[in-house]
Amino acid sequence: MSAATLRRLIVVSLVVLWELLPRLGVIPELFLPSLSSTIAAGWNDAGEYGHALAVTLYEVGVSMLFACGGGILAGAIVGSLPRPRVLIMPMVSSLYAVPLVILYPVFTVWLGIGSESKIAFAAIYGFLPTMLSTAAGIQTIDPQLLLAARSMGATLSQRLTRVIIPAAIPTVLSGLRVGGALVIVGVVVSEMLISSAGIGYLISRYRTILDSPHVFAGVLLVLAMAIAFNAAIKWIERKASIWQTGTREGQRAADEIQAGTIQPATA
Amino acid sequence: MQPLANVTPFKPGSRAGAIQISNVGQVFKTATQDVVALSDVSLDIKPGRFVVLVGPSGCGKSTLLMMLAGLRQQTSGTILINEAPIPQPDPNRVGVIFQEPSLFPWLTAEENVEFPLALRRIPRSDRRAKAVDALKLVGLEGFGKRHPHELSGGMKQRVSIARGLVQDPPVLLMDEPFAALDEQTRMTMGDELLRIWAATGKTVVFVTHSLTEAVYLADEVVVMSARPGRIVDHLTISLPRPRTYEMLGGETFGTLRDRIWRHIRKSA
Repeated sequence: MSAATLRRLIVVSLVVLWELLPRLGVIPELFLPSLSSTIAAGWNDAGEYGHALAVTLYEVGVSMLFACGGGILAGAIVGSLPRPRVLIMPMVSSLYAVPLVILYPVFTVWLGIGSESKIAFAAIYGFLPTMLSTAAGIQTIDPQLLLAARSMGATLSQRLTRVIIPAAIPTVLSGLRVGGALVIVGVVVSEMLISSAGIGYLISRYRTILDSPHVFAGVLLVLAMAIAFNAAIKWIERKASIWQTGTREGQRAADEIQAGTIQPATA
Repeated sequence: MQPLANVTPFKPGSRAGAIQISNVGQVFKTATQDVVALSDVSLDIKPGRFVVLVGPSGCGKSTLLMMLAGLRQQTSGTILINEAPIPQPDPNRVGVIFQEPSLFPWLTAEENVEFPLALRRIPRSDRRAKAVDALKLVGLEGFGKRHPHELSGGMKQRVSIARGLVQDPPVLLMDEPFAALDEQTRMTMGDELLRIWAATGKTVVFVTHSLTEAVYLADEVVVMSARPGRIVDHLTISLPRPRTYEMLGGETFGTLRDRIWRHIRKSA
């Protein structure tokens, strides 16, 4: 059996177990409501969940703009200029271990309990990994490519737009993947802590009244959001970094091509 | 912004370049001492000549090439290419081919060849036509849409040569361009290069570690020695062209190679 079939089988059996175990009474419905009652709960209050999803998506979207835009910009500066790197990197590295969630209460004081505090928190949460991989991506660019571009008369700005940025794209994307996931975490967590709207808020509110099906309906939505985000990043990676794939396989194919078709030309 | 380059059709062989190197020296300053990489190097290269630089590691042959490319400035002396100094890279006068093909992996072969033209804002259709012609010249017709990872080592280096040729510079500088290739590919590429050179009439300055390659390709071999880098011999290779594989075993070939080897053994 192939790994892909096996993987699908695992997912299917988890789904089946989610339905069966609560129904058979193995797990009390309060701890884990069956999948069907979870979906029913969500469906019956589709308007409420839809509104919550819209709020959360809005917060996630804006935070990602800040996290990714700021992270890429800061990473580019830190990655290409030694001086800011020396000044900033030690701070960033130690900041990485700080549980940033301690900042959230401060943000609610500064920005209120609306979307602004969530956006600020999630943006900072996703900023660091994006910045770190962008910096790494730029620092690891093959210097030979830059020398070649210079020998062809490329100016500094041409080297930036035509060599440095495209060369850094794969590493930046892997940073976006981590940063974007953390943005989702940041938004949902902050909604659960102090807020008045969003999926995290719904989960948290239904939990206080022990309405498990509605709690899990929210969990399902978050799950779906994370999976969709992952799929989107994968799609972008496939589109943007064709050049990174299959170096060895491409090499082998090329060798075959050459053996078959290319002849030493004679003049 | 540099002026718009020649937008005439790609026409190899329209120009050849003269190189004058006079009393050039290069000193690298390190924290503890100054290292003399090149000392009082003078060399006159006539248009259309194929000149090979050989010498032990550290003799400054690559440094000299980087200075001809405008990628590094000499500490003393003058370098003139077609009677003008070269304070910065000028792909209209000098094309550079490195040991690594240095192709941009996210661009196709064609786009790689177009790269220097795109830098000068030459219209897309014009540069595509030139790139196609240049790829044809290096024997890669029909491979333009491939990405570098779909090409073999020899093919990548051909693309790199096409990129060096696409602006039809009078001078082509090659820094051990075939050193990373296996021996069979290397021999094929040598013949290919001679064919391209004969077709285009460029002035070629070629750096190599291989004495056989040097004698096989060159009109003139310039032998350098290390510490400090300087020229110790300047041979004219009188073997007839086209060069053939059979010449490798001949007496003239052996004599010339021995003479170079004795210099290198002495200074290494």
